[in-house]
Amino acid sequence: MAPNPAKRATAKTAAAQRAPAKRAAPPAPARPTTRPPIGRLVAPTAPRLLEASLPGGIHALVVRRPSVPLVEVRLALPLAADQIRKPAPVSILSRSLFAGTDRHDRVALAGAIEDLGASLDAHVGEDRVILSGAVLAEHLKELLALLVEVITSASYPPDEVKADRNRAADETLIALSQPDVVAAQALRRRLFGTHPYATPIPPPAALRRVDAAALHALHPVVLNPAGAHLVLVGDLQPHRAVGLAEEALAAWTVTHEVPPADLPPVAAPRPGPLELVPRPASVQSNLRMGGSFARLGEPDWPAASLAEQILGGMFSSRIVANIRERNGYSYSPRSFVRHGRAGSSFTMAADVATGVTGPALVEIFYELGRIATLGINEEELEMARRHSVGRFSFDTASLPGLATTLANLAIRGVDLGYLTAYPKAVIAATKQMVDEAAARYLAPSRLVTVVVGDPEVVTGPLSALGEVALRS
Amino acid sequence: MPTRPKRAHPAERTVLDNGLKVLVVPDRTVPLVGVAVVYNVGFRSEPEGRTGFAHLFEHMMFQGSAHVGKMEHGRLVESAGGRMNGHTLPDLTAYYEALPASALELALFLEADRMASLSVSEENLRNQVDVVKEEIRVNVLNRPYGGFPWILLPALAFTSYPNAHNGYGDFTHLEEATVGESEDFYATFYSPANAVLAVVGDCAADEVFALAERYFGSIRRRRVPKRGPWPEPRPSADLHRVIRDPLAPQPAFAVGYRTTDPVGDLDRYLIYDVLASLLAGGDSSRLRARLIYRDNNVTDVSCQLGTFGDDAFFVRDPTLLQVIVFHPGTATTGALLEAIDEEIGRLAEDGPDRQELARVVNTSSADLWRSLDSLMDRAHILASVETIHGRAELVEELASRLAAVKVADVAEAAADLLSQHRAVLELQPAGN
Repeated sequence: MAPNPAKRATAKTAAAQRAPAKRAAPPAPARPTTRPPIGRLVAPTAPRLLEASLPGGIHALVVRRPSVPLVEVRLALPLAADQIRKPAPVSILSRSLFAGTDRHDRVALAGAIEDLGASLDAHVGEDRVILSGAVLAEHLKELLALLVEVITSASYPPDEVKADRNRAADETLIALSQPDVVAAQALRRRLFGTHPYATPIPPPAALRRVDAAALHALHPVVLNPAGAHLVLVGDLQPHRAVGLAEEALAAWTVTHEVPPADLPPVAAPRPGPLELVPRPASVQSNLRMGGSFARLGEPDWPAASLAEQILGGMFSSRIVANIRERNGYSYSPRSFVRHGRAGSSFTMAADVATGVTGPALVEIFYELGRIATLGINEEELEMARRHSVGRFSFDTASLPGLATTLANLAIRGVDLGYLTAYPKAVIAATKQMVDEAAARYLAPSRLVTVVVGDPEVVTGPLSALGEVALRS
Repeated sequence: MPTRPKRAHPAERTVLDNGLKVLVVPDRTVPLVGVAVVYNVGFRSEPEGRTGFAHLFEHMMFQGSAHVGKMEHGRLVESAGGRMNGHTLPDLTAYYEALPASALELALFLEADRMASLSVSEENLRNQVDVVKEEIRVNVLNRPYGGFPWILLPALAFTSYPNAHNGYGDFTHLEEATVGESEDFYATFYSPANAVLAVVGDCAADEVFALAERYFGSIRRRRVPKRGPWPEPRPSADLHRVIRDPLAPQPAFAVGYRTTDPVGDLDRYLIYDVLASLLAGGDSSRLRARLIYRDNNVTDVSCQLGTFGDDAFFVRDPTLLQVIVFHPGTATTGALLEAIDEEIGRLAEDGPDRQELARVVNTSSADLWRSLDSLMDRAHILASVETIHGRAELVEELASRLAAVKVADVAEAAADLLSQHRAVLELQPAGN
């Protein structure tokens, strides 16, 4: 086979482009084999925020971060209990919002956004809608104008709404065929009981019933400037950006009185039998355990988050060491915490080969029981402190990361002093505080368990561990 | 039309005596660094009968080396407040971490230790074979559309083993892998002269060069392995295959077209990149506007270069331009293919209009900046482009080179798609 001329050309180009190489005198000394020090753990400096209140009650948060010539835009809007309980209309609204305005049809609107090198879409979370965009920095003003155009004149053309709901129904079918989606739904139902957070993904039939009239009625309720948080992060001048936002958003006014989007608080789940969701012939079982957790901004949140990370919130956690690196039962066993406006929850998750479903659950119970009763050690604590502070730094280092973090804090009503206080509290947390939090939140007796898997194979082993309720 | 911003983060580089290329791109925006080591080996290089070996080996690189025990790599990085990962592509394997700037030296120590002295034990190998099998179950076997199209389309579009085989691997091949084979693979492909080290973020080039010399300088130089090329003539007849997916609720299909050589003729390859965006980039693109929003008969359509998802600039010849369609079955695959041909035909006939062309250059340029925003991603993207194209600087030049694409170029590339024998992989839900 002839040598690849392309590759040789590349190598030559590379050599030609190289800056004069700096070379050490040969022979090279042996490399150091002791671990270099990693520096003292210090709390990172919080980003400099400019907060402003815009007309209509919009809360604006702006940060200059000129790492790349882009600006990230978030508009966070709270949902009320009714809208969460009947999620089909909001789900269609988040698509049809971009289906046309009084100035553009759908494709022209998409074109106008793309002309700016921008994107703009809406995402429905458990209790909020977030409009999310990114734009080449020099076109921020134009993107804000299009955002306002959508908010003030989305026209919901009936044919477009019909097409959107059909696509939404098709996508839901695909989502519901994913075992992790089925598992997450089952866990939510067990965790939240009668709370709106228990609401499953809207079924295709409900999506197909949403019409343009419903969206016109819902639009001013969801897209209400009072209660909205606008976040701008990127290569911008903060005061100028606030000015741009003020000017652009002036057209967004309250059209009628809307009740505040209140939610009842989340209660701790009632423990009960393991729930088995049948998925015949499944080659894996999706194990999920969950419970309520410390809320962001609560005094025990920093210690609780350290306990959660030691258990399963990082690669060097106990769960990964056991389930993955010792037993090879799962590719990515993990724990995580979700924060809603009405409460926070903890999830322990592992997708394991069907044949080891029972043994994997035993190990997970063991690790939960161990951390809840025996606590942690100082070495783990120091690692988790550094990991927490590092994770926090990275979450707020990228433009989209910082924009999303700020939007989520704002909509949960967390005081933004959190950005300074959290890393300090993590550094100050003691073993006793973390042990107490582990006992409070991670004890298996406080958790509910669901398993998605092949009932023919896994019912036996799971029943050996405790009561199993088959969900039909 | 709007101008495209330029951002100068000039790369500084050196080459150690053992052949390791070192690339530094300082950026003091945040007090963090991203570090990547990219090895010039991917799953196209793995031996026959050992599908999945390059990826399995990537797992072994986290299992310990002479001065770092099992699980210690992760523990040390996370204890320093950092994060890490790795990935295996057809033509490269990347390892990367991001840490507070004060832990840069630790990252270099860890990368050097596993480049110099990896230790693979039987126990660790068996453990990671199990872990990789679970990874394949999660991502392929236990979910709908698993391996669609990244495993399934190359298997149809190409005929030679390096280009066509499954990079995740057959379970039998994984189970048969031995410690001796790992040692050979390591000795052959993980030499310093076959790697690029990139450091980006809060650091100074001189300091990084000195540290690189200190930690990597004594690693023995080894011969750079022979690798490829793996050219394949374009197919001489249309290729078509139907596969059944018992877990999928809806049909889907992927169409694979051949591009020009991504490395040897980059400027022509960029025309295909523009064409991909014009066809199915944003919602105003030809296929999305037509199939999703006008005809309402597909759920989603996308178009990309490369075979492994988003790897257009990390891949060598031969590769594919893919059109991927998920649809509810209200139109036949044949009818949808006809509509796709019609839209490609319009571009071949008239080319895109200028506004449309400027638009995709703007969105591509913004996407590019976005992908460089995270320091960890920036490190492995720069090291990967240096590995494949020999010049990391290319990343920041792509926007202006895309802007040089002309209406007539796009028309010509569109005509090339139409004139080819393409590969069509249909996925049918079981029961259909």
